[in-house]
Amino acid sequence: MKRPIILMCMLTVFFAAGLLLIPQTGSSQKKLSLSFHHRVGNETLVLDNSYTNILGENIVVRKFKYYLSNFSITDQSGKNHLLPADYFLVDEADSASKNISLNVPTLEIKSINFLLGVDSIRNVSGIQTGVLDPLQGMFWTWNSGYIMAKLEGTSDSSHIAGQAFTYHIGGFKGETNTNRYITLTLPQKNKPQNNIHITADINHWFKSKSEIRIAQTPVCHTPGALAVKIANNYSTMFSVNADH
Amino acid sequence: MPTIDMKEGKKIFILLLILATGISWMGINNKYGKPKPVPFIVPKGWPQPVYDFSKNPLTEEGIALGRKLFYDGRLSKDGNFSCGTCHQQFGAFDSYDHSLSHGYNNALTTRNAPGLFNLAWQKEFMWDGGINHLDLQPLAPITNENEMAETLENVIAKLKADKEYRQMFKAAFGDETINTQRLGKALSQFELQLVSSNSKYDKVMRGEAGFILPEQLGYDIFKKKCISCHTEPFFTDFSYRNTGLPVDKVLRDLGRMKITGKAEDSLKFKVPSLRNVGMTFPYGHDGRFFSLMSVFEHYRKNMVVGPVTDSLLRDKLALSNFEIGQLTAFLHTLTDSAFLKDPRFVQPGYENLSNPPADIHQ
Repeated sequence: MKRPIILMCMLTVFFAAGLLLIPQTGSSQKKLSLSFHHRVGNETLVLDNSYTNILGENIVVRKFKYYLSNFSITDQSGKNHLLPADYFLVDEADSASKNISLNVPTLEIKSINFLLGVDSIRNVSGIQTGVLDPLQGMFWTWNSGYIMAKLEGTSDSSHIAGQAFTYHIGGFKGETNTNRYITLTLPQKNKPQNNIHITADINHWFKSKSEIRIAQTPVCHTPGALAVKIANNYSTMFSVNADH
Repeated sequence: MPTIDMKEGKKIFILLLILATGISWMGINNKYGKPKPVPFIVPKGWPQPVYDFSKNPLTEEGIALGRKLFYDGRLSKDGNFSCGTCHQQFGAFDSYDHSLSHGYNNALTTRNAPGLFNLAWQKEFMWDGGINHLDLQPLAPITNENEMAETLENVIAKLKADKEYRQMFKAAFGDETINTQRLGKALSQFELQLVSSNSKYDKVMRGEAGFILPEQLGYDIFKKKCISCHTEPFFTDFSYRNTGLPVDKVLRDLGRMKITGKAEDSLKFKVPSLRNVGMTFPYGHDGRFFSLMSVFEHYRKNMVVGPVTDSLLRDKLALSNFEIGQLTAFLHTLTDSAFLKDPRFVQPGYENLSNPPADIHQ
């Protein structure tokens, strides 16, 4: 009577041991952290502080946040490695959100690539969770779709109520698409590539490919030509700190 | 009295043990087991629904939760406005006898609340089609200042603080997590149940009943003059069309153009379903027509034909008094009285009341 029980126990132990011995599949991974630093020109952005933007208009920033997704890295041979799907909401008001940790293959990285925004599939698939939860205030309930990036504040130049300026930039369909692919090439100075410091300069919202003057354009709240123009502007706002 | 020997006693003991184990299993399954699946039944001859049920499988628990949420005023800022406040079953889930609905702080909405039924076949929602998924639809009225005026954070916090909801979310979704996604999914599960397919018209189509002469004549006229937009079996083709409605000077509602930003979509609104049309007055996106007669008058006389008016209506729609009479008779065959009284859709706890809930104007 006792023999089969002992046999069963032994089999179980062998089986469990076997499971532990199965090697982890895939190449080795390392942690890569990205730290975002928000600036207005050369000055560090502090919410509710006043600055003069690149067009000479004074601004006080109340909110600054944006989505990042679809990360990939390009190695020195030029090969692109897609990272697992993950979405991040970088928010100036939440310092933890300004540090992103990615699992990347252990390779010499040439550039980091990502989408500034939320890909169209997540805009048409019902309610999402986590940072994509509509309660984050980055989703239009009346015209389904994510606000890819948001910049709000006040300026003496503004002629609307509260001298506010509010740029809620979104739109994912066809010519109104405001998603922008960003490629950041890392400086090659034999520095350890574990923590990359990235600057986002708010001045680019106002002047880059075109000029956006708060005096003329204090508000953008719908997908369309203006949102595309502003997205084209801010798509150049990122740079990698050379001396990280 | 027969005696039971040892061997038989052992057998009975084992049988009892199996029975006890089985019963306790059933008990465990009820408490911790998976929610009970509910099939979605497509009425005979209807196309397959567009809603992706694989992402939100219907279950008894999910539907019960959605129903409770649908009728819960706590989804609004002051507790007074549930989904069911403006979507009343006896009006096919529209705002009965209201051109515009009332919201928080005596605000009026800007559009006529549509009836809710056959939503599983609808790809886009709202008169302008701005919302692209049924799960997302409730977020607009919940957060709109002139409707329920609440924030999603507050709604989620109120639900989390309620033990009954925590249990119901667990029963429906497997754990007590309450988030916006589950709120939307549960509401969808209830709303997807609202299938209206048992009007007299449906019975005639199924060979279970016959039209009387005016209804039949009306159906023949309908097939000549109305059916290209109000397509069977939904009595809408879900398109957006400009039917020559002049813009309301106060509301300044440009319809579909607000969503697409294109001039050619100016004053286009979704073609409404005519199912239950006898119960869903007033008509039009802003409820400007209080009777079917006023709608017919619009089409035959009052239309303002502009550059983007629908090509089918360039010469307005010729309708004689006789035709209007027959069409009216036919349209009343689209009333689904079983749907309007279906106890499965009633506010929980009110299933056995034969009278409709009191009007909000009492």
